[in-house]
Amino acid sequence: MTDLLRKRQSLKKELLQQPNLLSTRISILGGSTTTEVKSMLELFLLAQGIRPTFYESGYNRYYEDISFENPDLWNFKPDIVLVHTTWHNVSQFPELLESETEVELRVRREMARFESFWEKIHTRLGAVIIQNNFDLPRLRPLGNLEASQSFGRVNFLMKLNAEFASYARKHARFIINDIHYLSAQVGLTEWLGNTYWYGFHMALSPTATVALARNVTAIVTSIYGKSKKCLVLDLDNTLWGGIIGDDGLQNLVLGSDHPVGAAFRDFQQYVKDLQRRGIILAVCSKNDPENAKEGFSHPDSVLKLEDFAAFKTNWDPKPKNIREIAEELNIGLDSMVFVDDNPAERAFVAEQLPEVAVPDVGSDVSLFAEILERERYFEVDKLVQEDLNRAAFYNSNAQRKVAESSFGDYGEFLGSLEMTAEIGPFLPVYLERITQLINKTNQFNLTTRRYTSAEVEAVAQDPGFVTLYGRLTDKFGDNGLVSVLIGHVLADTVELDVWLMSCRVLNREMELAMFDALVEQCQARGIRKIVGIYIPSKKNGMVAGHYGSLGFSRMDGSSEGRQLWFYEAPSTYAPKTRHIRRLAKPLLAAPEADNESVAAQTSV
Amino acid sequence: MTRDEFLSQMDEILGLPAGTLRGDEKLEELENWDSTSLITFIALAESNAGVSISPARVVNCFTVGDLLRLAQAESNPC
Repeated sequence: MTDLLRKRQSLKKELLQQPNLLSTRISILGGSTTTEVKSMLELFLLAQGIRPTFYESGYNRYYEDISFENPDLWNFKPDIVLVHTTWHNVSQFPELLESETEVELRVRREMARFESFWEKIHTRLGAVIIQNNFDLPRLRPLGNLEASQSFGRVNFLMKLNAEFASYARKHARFIINDIHYLSAQVGLTEWLGNTYWYGFHMALSPTATVALARNVTAIVTSIYGKSKKCLVLDLDNTLWGGIIGDDGLQNLVLGSDHPVGAAFRDFQQYVKDLQRRGIILAVCSKNDPENAKEGFSHPDSVLKLEDFAAFKTNWDPKPKNIREIAEELNIGLDSMVFVDDNPAERAFVAEQLPEVAVPDVGSDVSLFAEILERERYFEVDKLVQEDLNRAAFYNSNAQRKVAESSFGDYGEFLGSLEMTAEIGPFLPVYLERITQLINKTNQFNLTTRRYTSAEVEAVAQDPGFVTLYGRLTDKFGDNGLVSVLIGHVLADTVELDVWLMSCRVLNREMELAMFDALVEQCQARGIRKIVGIYIPSKKNGMVAGHYGSLGFSRMDGSSEGRQLWFYEAPSTYAPKTRHIRRLAKPLLAAPEADNESVAAQTSV
Repeated sequence: MTRDEFLSQMDEILGLPAGTLRGDEKLEELENWDSTSLITFIALAESNAGVSISPARVVNCFTVGDLLRLAQAESNPC
């Protein structure tokens, strides 16, 4: 911490030198002094490749800035509003011995004040809100009654926190920054430092501010879909104590009979919990494959072999193996976290693959989970069914790969998959998943254009746009919603602003099925010309030839950084996909949007 | 903390090349002396020497040397 404070100026300078920083505009609306929050948040965001520009409200002017529409804030046009309030900003605490009904009314009044404030931010500023919930006061004049009595302050704040959470569940683009947890983690004595509170009206000490900045950074990272997706694990002395090749299965230290064995089991449980919420697991270990697999048959092993989507056990250098895992799973190196008890292996991977996150976990297994937690690699702003099914997807993908190797001809293999696609204009039920895909797909993504959920909602209803989502099912399972396309209609031309696909359905003709559906949509709306845009990025090289292979021709005068490709649909179009059957109607009822597209057709 | 150690710490806090500060610089003339560096000065005194320095007393310092004297006085009370 002291190092961070001391070196922040030079750190900032250094971090600003990184290439390809993503810009974002953040308004910090504070109920206390926020200078430190801004300074620390800037450092942590820069470390994640995000370059923030800030607007700070005046001291404790968070409410007025929104209510009276401060023109400076309005002109700033934030992408994100961080509402940095703490328990000091509760307008009125209950009176002693106040009845429960009166306390309830007070909760309602406080909520009404916050809700009107949030609604104004959403509707008038259109920004994502990150809202602190409440920490607890250090002092308890009523002692333990503060928690048990309805008029107690602790009790009152917990009620407000529950109401804040309930609002978050009902509103997209509203994310809770859980300072109730953070303050407990830091410790309330350390959380608010008297020197800083009385001297500067800072509601958080510098130590607490670091914890806050880390947490907010994780949230912002997740908003931009830059959270990590995959955890790569070593085996010996990482998932169990001992070396399976030397010590044998029966001598592994794992399970509650042994103090260290219990810590290994608990770490496995933590990893299993991550896997259950959609984090992909992979093994990268210097071991004989048979020995390595045997380890998971240990009766106290929480993790089982089938929990891993990739399994690299050999004697090759680990950077090579990790690179291969990334290729096999079709994910970027920058979405991987590597955990190994061996400092030499960590250093080697960190040096060879700077994109991979390599936390310094040390060699004490009882701290591994905590260190991973502290870094907040896997933060998500929402959890959808697709996340929970992800492990199953990757598992079925392994089965598909086995099936693939038993066919001589790739077309024959595709035919055997019995694929069915559901493709149509955006449906409300899918908007969350569509936004998630738009903001996190990097490889099969022609423009890497990001949309906020409000923008996705807007284009879904705007007849000036063509929108398509695609779901793909095959005999091994449902791949879920995997492809998104958004085109802007100008007279008889549609310009494709977004075309992306999840890499787990690569080489399955899904992109052809999407194109067939696009051409049909265009024909139905009297659009003849399709303009494809390709904006090369560090990660989307795989689609450089996409438009060319579909029969588009490169337009003159388009720059290398923003290539324009042109296609004119023939009057009789022959569908390109041969192995995907298209569902005529979505499985879910189509909305009234159909009428709108008819209206759009006549108006073009 | 020696005078040299203190000066090099202040160089870092203010984002200056090592060896810049001599001690007689006026705080108000230093470009990066602001609320953030003031808070950093207090926080570092707290975590390095375990002393709590009141902001009011920092505000009464005019030069880098005054800050050093304040930090030393707080850590070695007579």
